[in-house]
Amino acid sequence: MTFNPAILLDNWRDLLDGLVLTLLIWVVGTVLGLAIGLVVATLQLFTNRWVAAPLTFYVALMRGTPFLIQLFVIYYGGPSFGLDLSPLTAGICGLALYGGAYFAEIFRAGFVSVSPGQIEAARMMGIGRLDIVRHVQLPQMLVIILPALANMTVLLSKETAVLSVITVNELTSVVQSIGSTTFAFAETLLFLALVYWALLEIVTAAARRLEKRVGRFMLRAQG
Amino acid sequence: MSEGPIIDVRGVWKRFGATEVLKGIDLSINKSDVTCIIGPSGSGKSTLLRCIAFLEEYSEGEIYIEGELLGFAQEGGKRRRVSEAEVARVRRNVGFVFQQFNLWPHMTALENVAAPLRLARGIAGDEAARRAGAMLEKVGLSARAGAYPSQLSGGQQQRVGIARALAMEPHIMLFDEPTSALDPELVGEVLQVMRDLAGEGMTMAVVTHEMGFAAQVADTVVFLDHGRIAASGSPEEVFRRDPNPRLRQFLQNYFDRNVFWQSEEGAAS
Amino acid sequence: MFNTTIIIKSLPLLLEASVWTVVYSLTSVAIGFCIGTLMCAARLSTSPAARRVSAFYVSFFRGVPLLVQLLISYYCLPLVGINVPSSVAAVGTLALCTGAYITEILRGGFLGIPAGLIEAARMVGLSRTQILTRIEVPLAVRFTLPSLVNETTMMVKASSLISVVGVLELTRLAQNIATSTFQPLEIYLTAGAIYFVINGVITLLGALLESRFQLEAAR
Repeated sequence: MTFNPAILLDNWRDLLDGLVLTLLIWVVGTVLGLAIGLVVATLQLFTNRWVAAPLTFYVALMRGTPFLIQLFVIYYGGPSFGLDLSPLTAGICGLALYGGAYFAEIFRAGFVSVSPGQIEAARMMGIGRLDIVRHVQLPQMLVIILPALANMTVLLSKETAVLSVITVNELTSVVQSIGSTTFAFAETLLFLALVYWALLEIVTAAARRLEKRVGRFMLRAQG
Repeated sequence: MSEGPIIDVRGVWKRFGATEVLKGIDLSINKSDVTCIIGPSGSGKSTLLRCIAFLEEYSEGEIYIEGELLGFAQEGGKRRRVSEAEVARVRRNVGFVFQQFNLWPHMTALENVAAPLRLARGIAGDEAARRAGAMLEKVGLSARAGAYPSQLSGGQQQRVGIARALAMEPHIMLFDEPTSALDPELVGEVLQVMRDLAGEGMTMAVVTHEMGFAAQVADTVVFLDHGRIAASGSPEEVFRRDPNPRLRQFLQNYFDRNVFWQSEEGAAS
Repeated sequence: MFNTTIIIKSLPLLLEASVWTVVYSLTSVAIGFCIGTLMCAARLSTSPAARRVSAFYVSFFRGVPLLVQLLISYYCLPLVGINVPSSVAAVGTLALCTGAYITEILRGGFLGIPAGLIEAARMVGLSRTQILTRIEVPLAVRFTLPSLVNETTMMVKASSLISVVGVLELTRLAQNIATSTFQPLEIYLTAGAIYFVINGVITLLGALLESRFQLEAAR
């Protein structure tokens, strides 16, 4: 077996494009997912059961089925109901819907963690529902749920690799095509693993620092 | 079996970093003796008991259990920590009852008693269960054999803890504040079991705040203060006659807390 | 138009393939649990080398996407002279991946065991191994049961990725049927429903087990 890392240098442009696309998918998917999660959790808790029940079903469905199958349904099944998306759009939507379900669960747990007494007090003062959410609940729960949110965000960065299966030209896809044209699987795939690994370690370390800072900030705010 | 004391503590020191918790303890416990160790919190009494069980490694001195040095081997004037298996061999005849019971929550009362018989002594399952059943009966808990610790009251849990230690047929039982974690109305049932044990001639060392128990049951009362034995003797000597001011203060606090009715002449004895 | 006949026709085949999904994912969780226990013991041991190996293992297998791990085992094992069926390589990879997560789950469980319970075991003369297998592992599993059940459902889902390296299971078969019948929506929704049911059953069994344990463990 020969080991020839020069192949990576020869294709640096494609690899860079792949990496940029991976990061883009991840960031956009996460932001959309967070938005979906917050809206879903709020609606679940503060509306009637006719709204909440289907949302609960959505969350259970997304968490109970493989992400790959979800992508297949959106990308290959979409045209059957008039939804003809490009691989990239389908992939980002899939990631957002998938992440959104997990984020919704995290937000819901956060809402519940704020004591009912505080909400009663706010209600007695005549503060509106959404304002209670915004000013009483969210600020308190964010500290509590930050580690879970960060964890999920990190998990989503790994899920972006699955988009290669529906032919999105992100990093994994680029590396696979370089591999299959040059047969340098060992070099390319190990490089790929290292890039993801480094990316994850960096993001995880950043999340830990953020948690610490927010924790300190909250301590000071309370003290 | 040797005729010497069952437990012999000689010049034992225990340090946690720079803090000295035990400062040269000498104590021997003879067969069938009941020794109650009393003292203010932080005096080192629980640490002493845990050193005798080698749950804590003592820093200096020697502890002999039925003539065998516990936890260390002497080699050319230097001492060397022995293996965990060797420690287990030396203390095989020492039973220990914990303040927090420490029952294993995933086993029923019966299994808590039977499992060590099977696992540490290699006794067959049926026989272990039979013996465990007998031990539970001894502590008055046959009816609760199938219950999990979470389904038992604190007093019942502690009685299972005593049965678990007794099942190993120890030559000495160590009790580390066995009633301190209990609601007051549950203390009596545990003390009764201990009283019965003492009556049967079991050798016991009891760290306790139950002065009534110490006065009635103990052969020797040891008062520990700041890591030293400040007084020791029969209950009569320690409770009535020992002039040590720290001891008098400790006992006075105890009586002030516990006497809620006293006649004109009957001050704190 | 939603085509129900195709669903009814392909359902028996999909169900048959889902047996493989269950077999592959449960096998990898079982192997992963053994790996996880060992790696957890290494992580909590006093040997710095063992601790480092365990930390490295966890970091790598949690840090690299499973798909990439599967591609590496699929393409690179033959390069170093290891020729095993792709299903074996895939299950091995799944096991290593879930093992890393289980290591972390169990670590939390082990650290949560009150020291007194171990002391009690030492005082009645249990050996180091007996304490590990009879006291610590059962307790750690009980403490972490919800996480372990969750990890199992994650693996059922993750096993769909082994279709990419050519192992026949539910997702792979669904792909085959979808491309030959041109009814991808119906087929993939059906496959999704089967995964959903499998995970529902696992979650239910987990909840049953948990309620049984709760009876014992609540204090």
